[in-house]
Parts: sequence; C-alpha cells; structure tokens
Amino acid sequence: MALIDCKQVSLGYENRIVAQDINFQVNRGDLLCIVGENGSGKSTLMKAILGLKDTESGHLHYGDGLTAKQVGYLPQQTTAQRDFPASVFEVVLSGCLSSKKHSIFYNKALRQRATDSLQKLDMLPYRNRCYRELSGGQQQRVLLARALCATTTLLVLDEPVSGLDPLATADFYKLIRRINRDYGITVIMVSHDLQDALSLATHILHMKQSGAFFGTKQDYLQSDIYRAFTGGGDHA
Amino acid sequence: MLDTLSFLFSHAFMLRALVVGGLISLCCALLGVSLVLKRFSMIGDGLSHVGFGALAIACAANITPLYFSIPIVILAAFALLAMNEKGKLKGDAAIALISTGALAVGVMVTSMTTGMNVDIYNYMFGSILAMSRSDVVLSVVLSVAVIALFCVFYDEIFAVTFDESFAKATGTKVGAYNMLLAALTAVTIVVGMRMMGALLISSLIIFPTVTSMRVCKSFRRVIGMSVGVSLVCFFVGLLVSVRFEAPTGASVVCVNIACLAFFSLFGAVLNLREKNRLFRYKKVLAAGLALVLLCGVTVPFFGGKDPLPAHKPQVVATGFAPYDFARQIAGDCADVTMLLKPGEESHTFEPTPQDIALIQQSDVFVYGGGESDTWVDSILESLRGGKTRIVRMMDCVELQHEQLLDGMQPEDEEAEAEETEYDEHVWTSVRNAMLICDAVCRALSEADPANADVYRNHKTDYQSQLSAVDSAFRQTAEQAQGKTFLVGDRFPFLYLQKEYGFSFAAAFPGCAAETEANPATIGYLIRKAQSEKIKTVFKVDLSPGNVAQTIADAINAKVDTLWSCHVISAADFQNGETYLSLMQRNLRALQNA
Repeated sequence: MALIDCKQVSLGYENRIVAQDINFQVNRGDLLCIVGENGSGKSTLMKAILGLKDTESGHLHYGDGLTAKQVGYLPQQTTAQRDFPASVFEVVLSGCLSSKKHSIFYNKALRQRATDSLQKLDMLPYRNRCYRELSGGQQQRVLLARALCATTTLLVLDEPVSGLDPLATADFYKLIRRINRDYGITVIMVSHDLQDALSLATHILHMKQSGAFFGTKQDYLQSDIYRAFTGGGDHA
Repeated sequence: MLDTLSFLFSHAFMLRALVVGGLISLCCALLGVSLVLKRFSMIGDGLSHVGFGALAIACAANITPLYFSIPIVILAAFALLAMNEKGKLKGDAAIALISTGALAVGVMVTSMTTGMNVDIYNYMFGSILAMSRSDVVLSVVLSVAVIALFCVFYDEIFAVTFDESFAKATGTKVGAYNMLLAALTAVTIVVGMRMMGALLISSLIIFPTVTSMRVCKSFRRVIGMSVGVSLVCFFVGLLVSVRFEAPTGASVVCVNIACLAFFSLFGAVLNLREKNRLFRYKKVLAAGLALVLLCGVTVPFFGGKDPLPAHKPQVVATGFAPYDFARQIAGDCADVTMLLKPGEESHTFEPTPQDIALIQQSDVFVYGGGESDTWVDSILESLRGGKTRIVRMMDCVELQHEQLLDGMQPEDEEAEAEETEYDEHVWTSVRNAMLICDAVCRALSEADPANADVYRNHKTDYQSQLSAVDSAFRQTAEQAQGKTFLVGDRFPFLYLQKEYGFSFAAAFPGCAAETEANPATIGYLIRKAQSEKIKTVFKVDLSPGNVAQTIADAINAKVDTLWSCHVISAADFQNGETYLSLMQRNLRALQNA
C-alpha cells in the first residue's frame, strides 16, 4: 500500500479552485519532486499533504501505517528565524516534539535521536553554536536535521535550496540523495527548478490548473507536458 | 543604601510592590521572549491600552477592576490573534486600531464620569500604591500559574515560537499554544499595568528579551538572562524611584534602557572578539559582572535620607492651612512637616513613598478628607494600629455641599444631578479654623502628654487671634450686605461665604480642574458685574487668572487676589506668611472691593 494516495483531488482558496484532477501515489523509497509554474498550486498541495489545509474535493490519504506525527517537514525559512537566538541543538531537538509523550522534558532517547540526526548531516561539531550565526547552507542542514528527528518515513521539503548559493545547493542535494538512498526515507520535494528536480527525482508531479502530470522520471521526459514546458526544443 | 533597602522591606505597601512587581517582571520576561521572537511585541502594547480602557470602564461602573479587565483583555488578545491570522487587517494595523480605540474609549468614559483626574494619571503611568492586599494574593496566584504553565509547556512554546509551520505540520496544536501565550500575556499585563502604568507595562515585555538577545546564543539562556535582567532592572528601578521620588514605572523603564545600551555595546565587543576565537564561558562571566556593575553604579546614589529625629513628636499635615495650625500650636515642642510643597498643584497630588513613610512614622497626621485627599484612604489601612493619631479636618466642622453659585459652570454636566460632594476647603471659615485647632491640640496632647499644657496655652493664644479676625470678617460681611463679590475663578470659599453671609458669584466650583470658562459663563458674569457695578474681580492665588482678567477688562475693573490657603506660593512661604496673615489679606481685599 502506498504511503500517500491522492485521487481526484482539487485544491483552492475561498471557493476558488487552484488545481484539480490531481492523482498520484507515493511509495516507500520514492523521491517525488513537485514542479510547476508559480501559482500552479505546488505549495497548496504540499500543505494539503501535511494536513495544514483541507482539499476542496477528492481523496488524500496516508497509508502503510503513516500518521501525521511521523512526517518530517522542512518549511521555507522566515526572516524572523534568521536571527533567532537558539542553539543548533535546541532547534534540532524541537523536531522530537511530536514523539514526546506524557513528559515535560525530552528524555534521553529523544536527545540521542537529535544527536544522531546532527551526526547524519555532519553537523555535530556545530551542536552548541548559535543558529543565527550559521551560514544559509548550514542553517538549512540544521532544519533538515530537525525534520529527520520527526520522521523515519517521510520527509517533505518546501523549496529547500531557495536562497542558497550554487555550492551550498549542490551540497544540499547530495544530502537529500543520501537520506533517500542510505536511510530509506521517502522524500517529497517542492521545487521550481526543473533541472534540479530531474537530477534527483524518481517521480515527478507536474502541477497544472487541471490534469497534472504524474509519473516516473522516464515517463515524464517523454511526456507532452515536459516538452511544452521546456519549449519543445529538446529534440530535433 | 541601607536606609533605602530597609525602607523597601519595612513598609507593607513597599513590600507588596516588591512582591507583585518582582513576579510581574518575571512573567513579563518569560512571555516576552516568545512574543518578541514571534514579532508579536506590539500585542503587549495593544493589550495594555485595552487594559486601560477596561479599567476606566470598571471604575466608572464600580466593578472590581481586575475581575472586569482580565476577561476583557483576554478577549482582546484572542481577537488580535484571530485578526492576525485570518483577517484582512494585518498585524500592526489591527493592533493600532484596537489599542488607540481602547485608549479613546477609556478616556471618554473617565472624562464623562469622574473627570480627568489623578486616577487616570495613575492608570497611565502607574502608582506604587495601587497594590492592595487582595491584589497581592491575586497577582501571586496568577504569576504562579503563568510560571508553571510556561515551565510545563516550555518545549512546545519553543517549537511554536521558532517555527509555527513546522510545529503545525508535525502535529502540535499551534493555535492552542498561541492562545495560551496570548491569555497569559493578557493576565500579566492587567496585573502589572496598575503599578507600571498602561503606557509603560509593555516595556517590561520587550526590553529584557531584546537586551538578552544582544549577548545570548541559545533560547534557554535568553530566557534565563531575560528573567535576570528583568528582576534586576525592576529592583534597581524601584530603588531609584524610592531614592529620587520618581514614578516607579518610568524608573524601571529607564534602568532597562541603560541595561539595553550597556549590553548592546557589550554584545558588539563580544562579536568582535568572537572573530578572534576567544571563548564563551568568559562571556557568561562578563555578563554576570556587567549586571553586578550596573547595580554597583547605582549604589552611591543611595545616601538615604536621615531618619526623623526621634525626640520630638512629629506632625505631618497635607496642605498649608493644617500645617500652619499645627505649627502655631506645636511651637518649638514638635516638628511639623507639610506634604504639599509650596506651589504644588493640590488636586492632583500623589504622595511619594517617602511621604507615606513620613506619615506612618508621624505622631499626628492632619488632612482634609475631601476630593484632593482620596489617596489618603489607600494608606489609612496601614496606619491603623500604629501610633499615628489622625485628624480629618472635615470631621471637625459642619460640612457644606459643594454647590453651584449663581452663574457657575458645573464641573461636569452629568454629575450635576447626582449627589454633590462636600466642599473640602473647610478652613476658609475662621470659625472652622478654631474648631480644627481644638482637634489638633487634642491629638498633640495625647501624643505628647508632657507638653499638654504648653500646647493648650499656644492654642488659646492662637484662638484669641483667630477670634479677632473672625469678628472682623463678620463685621465686614454685615457692612457689605447686598453687595456681590465676583470671583472669576474656581471658588474654594464656600465656608467663608456661609459662615459670614457674604454674597458671591463665581465661575467654577472649588475643586474644578479646568479653569477655562465657556463663553456663556463669562458673558453671564460680565452682565452681572455690570448690573452690580462691580469694581473688583477676584482671582484665586496660584491661578493664572485668565477668566478674572477677561471679565475685569470687559467692565473696566481691577483684579485682586483671594488666598485659599490650600497651597501657598514658594515666595509667600519664604516670606513667612501664615494662615492668619493670608486671611487678613483676604479681609482687606473684601473690604476694598
């Protein structure tokens, strides 16, 4: 059974439909990139996947034992966060909040989990540094470590490389590939950069007002929507 | 220093202020971290204005202020949150709307009921006397609740503060925690605002966090240091306010400003050094040092006032008239202090903590008991059971209702129909002065039985002088039968009028705060003056006398002065004027009119 099953979903705001007829599945181990033009409903769909927003119609289900509390999320940074006086460890530990039960403080296991996440992303040396003093790429790694604390199953990334320089971007994509392959975590990534998406993804969801495309990367490269999107100049 | 400290701890009202203020500072610091980092600082400010409006309404409707304001302000907090999240009006505009709106409503309500008086001033800028015993209990309970909830939900509050969307996506009930924060903030603000002042309370929320952010690198430390900064600043501010007789709220904010300036500089230096790889524990050490330094800098100011010399009985009087009575009776056998400094505005007088201590340590306390002395009620409780004998002048005489004379502009049109107050200027009748002297002499004799005979002799001598002036007034009044005296000012001479049968016309009642007459009143008084062929228009001493001058110009009369003897000018005080000499001036002025 799929982790996420989406059938005939339409999305919108205040009775205005942004996108409809969305169909896709996400299975364990997939790396799904959601692409599309601005305003095509990428972020709206992502919010719906995270349960932050209701769909207008259709079915959007978690399956395979996945619950909302097991989803890791990497939101876009707000300006307020950039100069937030918190230590790296405090930020990462806050990812464990959803696993905290019946206790006021984080227990040892959760603190270990936070340390492990930092370790996985090579950020352990920065454990006690102040978040606001890190570079953009480092901050993004910290937020990714936090998301890893929240999940062992599914990670949702919202435009994770916006604002990063090319070097940091390449670096970050390497991490995502590692997380997906080595740790077996399913990834859903919203991106506006098609080339990056194609280099990473196993599956592509191309959002459109109606009739979004969903398929494997290979299918997508053959599709009309891809050709139209890239101006049809790819094949002579 | 020690004097100031012992002063803090030896008076119930100061202790209450210390306890409530400390707890409020603590709560503000805790909540402030979250509010400032979430960019919600202005919510604190908005809520304090709502609190002001609610207090004004509660007072007008005679409801216990806290029971009314807390729910209102919590509702306002939720409304602000909702507007912030969903509404078309975004954050800052919504807050500005609500805060200025509430402020305006508060001012309207107060001006239509009690008038812009000392209460309003206290709400806006705070009063250290505002804390009653029941307030302390309530504050302690609320503060403990705030602190407990904050500790229990610390991790959740961090998560929601740092990143709402992440917290929401991973299943935290962000809305609920936002509401919790807003509600706790509302409660803290309402409890704290009467001491700190509605206009200043939000600084307690913002300053400590901003200060801590200059130097701290983790959330936990920001919280810890905010609490520290907040408590230290409050305490130092309280000391400053006691030492310099300054309002508490403003003092605390000023200390906070100094603290912020210091740590900003300190933080900048640290950042420079950071680049040279100098390490962190030094930072913490230095931060602590800085705090101690900050306190240390203030220490030399605390020379403290000399305690009262103990060997003579101490008499404290509020205004000039009672001061002079006590002075005449005491002679050299007792020390007499006047609270209202020469030239000070009597109707908005607020005692400083020193004044209150002075009263508490006194043997005899003489006060009027009318509109100007409402603050006395709040300290009478603490005098009960002490050695202080209390003389309320209005209890010594037959009272007269404050009333509207011919042509007088009412203080407030709404209040006109309701009960009128008793006039408090009882001493303007010399006969009353003699009665008050009896009471003062009795109190002094009880306080100092050894000198009872001396006091009685002084009193008898003094009363015979008073009696002479009394007869002179009576004679003047008889001669002036059918003649109207025109006072183009407020009219504190009701007892003079009633006692001797003078006929007066005046512009405002005795305690009216405004001295700008409306054109109708002035027109009426001018016609009256013309028909009565009045040659002298009176003003009251220390008043600018605009109205009297306007009338005098219109009818080609001269302006003369009558002395209320409530407060006297610094020059008169220097020249050694007394109640008797001023009343004789009044007599001459009336005879010459």
